[in-house]
Amino acid sequence: MGFLILYFLTAFLFLGIGGFYLLAKENPESDPILLINPLLGLYFIVDIVVRYFFQSIPVTEVKPLLILPISKKEIVNGVLWRSLISFFNVIPVVTLLPFCIVFSVEKGLNASVWIWFLGLVCLSLSSNYFSFLINKSKRTALVFLALFLIGYGLHKFSNVSVLDLFGKGLNHLYLELYWILIPIVLLYFSISLTKTYLRKQLFLDKGLSKKKEQIVGGNLNFFDRWEGMGFFLKNDIRLIIRNIRARQVVLTGVFFLFYGLFFFTQELYLDKPFVLVFAGIFITGGFMITFGQYVPAWDSEYYSFLMCQNVPYRKYLKSKLYLMMFSVVVCSILSLPYLFFGFNVMQVIWAAGIFNFGFGSMITLFSGAYNTTPMKLNIKAKAFENTQNFSLIQMVFILPKLVLPVLVFYLPFAFFGFNAGLVGLVITGLLGLLFQKKLLSLIENTYQKKKYKTLSSFNK
Amino acid sequence: MSHMIRVENLSKKYAGQLVLDVPELQIPAGQRFGLVGNNGAGKTTLFSLILDLIEASSGSVFSKEIDVQKSEAWKPYTAAFIDESYLIGYLTVEEYYAFLANLRGVTKEEIESWTQGFESFFNGEVLNQKKYLRNFSKGNQKKAGIVGTLIGKPDLVVLDEPFSNLDPTTQIRLKNLIREEAEKNGTTFLISSHDLTHVTEVCDRIVLLEKGVIVKDIETTPETLKELESYFSN
Repeated sequence: MGFLILYFLTAFLFLGIGGFYLLAKENPESDPILLINPLLGLYFIVDIVVRYFFQSIPVTEVKPLLILPISKKEIVNGVLWRSLISFFNVIPVVTLLPFCIVFSVEKGLNASVWIWFLGLVCLSLSSNYFSFLINKSKRTALVFLALFLIGYGLHKFSNVSVLDLFGKGLNHLYLELYWILIPIVLLYFSISLTKTYLRKQLFLDKGLSKKKEQIVGGNLNFFDRWEGMGFFLKNDIRLIIRNIRARQVVLTGVFFLFYGLFFFTQELYLDKPFVLVFAGIFITGGFMITFGQYVPAWDSEYYSFLMCQNVPYRKYLKSKLYLMMFSVVVCSILSLPYLFFGFNVMQVIWAAGIFNFGFGSMITLFSGAYNTTPMKLNIKAKAFENTQNFSLIQMVFILPKLVLPVLVFYLPFAFFGFNAGLVGLVITGLLGLLFQKKLLSLIENTYQKKKYKTLSSFNK
Repeated sequence: MSHMIRVENLSKKYAGQLVLDVPELQIPAGQRFGLVGNNGAGKTTLFSLILDLIEASSGSVFSKEIDVQKSEAWKPYTAAFIDESYLIGYLTVEEYYAFLANLRGVTKEEIESWTQGFESFFNGEVLNQKKYLRNFSKGNQKKAGIVGTLIGKPDLVVLDEPFSNLDPTTQIRLKNLIREEAEKNGTTFLISSHDLTHVTEVCDRIVLLEKGVIVKDIETTPETLKELESYFSN
């Protein structure tokens, strides 16, 4: 994980340095900053959304401080300072600082680029505190949603584009120094709002208390029809809808449904069928992969309990497998709108679906056995936490999950044409189904063998 | 009397350090077996070995003569509540019980009427709360978990520290509950506790562990509590 963060930091660093030269080379006449400014509005919108999903300010950790001789003001300030230590606050600095240094070196030192830098950092920090408030208070969330909708409405139905205005504002900031007051005031405003909010929450029965939760998914009797397995399916569905982390992961899976748009809208890819296979695997198997790679980690919080219940591994695995297969069917049905891109595309997606249904699901389940990092179900994942389980062995599993389907398509395709490629995918899927029993036994044995190891790492 | 649990040359080492060494231990069916000892004495380790949750460094545990490491056939008649991780936090109590009932072959109707019988033990704080188990207080989680172990009348029930976190009324009710279940169904109870009074009151036999070794193994008599207290005060 440390490696990944380092990788991204370096990437952003180079983005900062390289960005300058790239812009200067492409548009020698214009000022690079004026080229960037129009894009930044969108950046900040994405920034707030991403922070909303992945950044959390750990307010509950202050509980033990309450009865120590530390004033509440200090506690609040502590929380605010600590919230700055976040990957999301480092990105703009790591990107912009080298950019501005290079700018100063190449174009001569002048104040305006640094004022611009300061302004952007202030905006980014405001976004840090606003996203915290959006997360915690419904009212702020509604205000921001309203602002967003108004902005969108203006953009859509009138000639006023908020993003353009934002970019123009940044131009002003760059050209006329006193504009810096706006981001500074905004930052001050966001900090004092957060302070007031936090100050009010520092009681055990307020912000530090557990939230009352509504029971959702109480009635799932529909699943009782599957003797034995129904209960596991019910539990898994409840797991997904009742836990923050699970919802997060599964939502990522749902996003993959739209993955095809990325490929199919570009002529370049449309006539490269094996790229379509790749997209098809993600479209039909997005949920399957994101959910399946965390089996059995999903149940890590109570794995000891499961292990001494009358739950044969096979039944447990089968219910997970069926859920994954079911999701492939649902995603394949939901992918119907891709028909818009032509019957070929649709055929590839469905063939990839059959591959996932029979074979991909098995591989995913198998890869989970090697994933023994416990998962806290009802806590938001930190940035990169979802990649923490990333290991060499998971890398190896990418081959059968993503490369194999491309191969079983491409080889027959290269020799016998498009339809043969489809047949390759379908047959692999069917083979998976045919040998399901055998493969399940293999997976079961792996789980069985790794039982103690899994238990001990889950109980850490 | 047949043995519910038979332990043979059992030992557990962590990084070369011996944390449990029990050459021999037999627990007859129907016994209420109490395990006492200070922190780190090996109580939870012993229970975890009996439940096959950790791998023994040597020796075996036999549950009704089934080697727990080699077969899963002991699972249908065994139930345990060691800590809150034995609950499924995102379920309601009713859903959790329905799940357990399903695993142990009890019908939906049976389980509903059966849980009603525990209303006084629950003191109105467990059933119909419209709350997930993770949002229960520690004490109510414990109540829910302990009753959960009794679903389907298992032959062997393992409870770790069942009295802690319970209010006094519930502690007394729990003692009665354990006695009743043992008498009515012949359930074998393995109970570990730091509370010497409760454990001597409810168990017919007390085993005292220290540094992984059994140092006392006594049938409970009116003098047992004194004996244990004098041992621990030294």
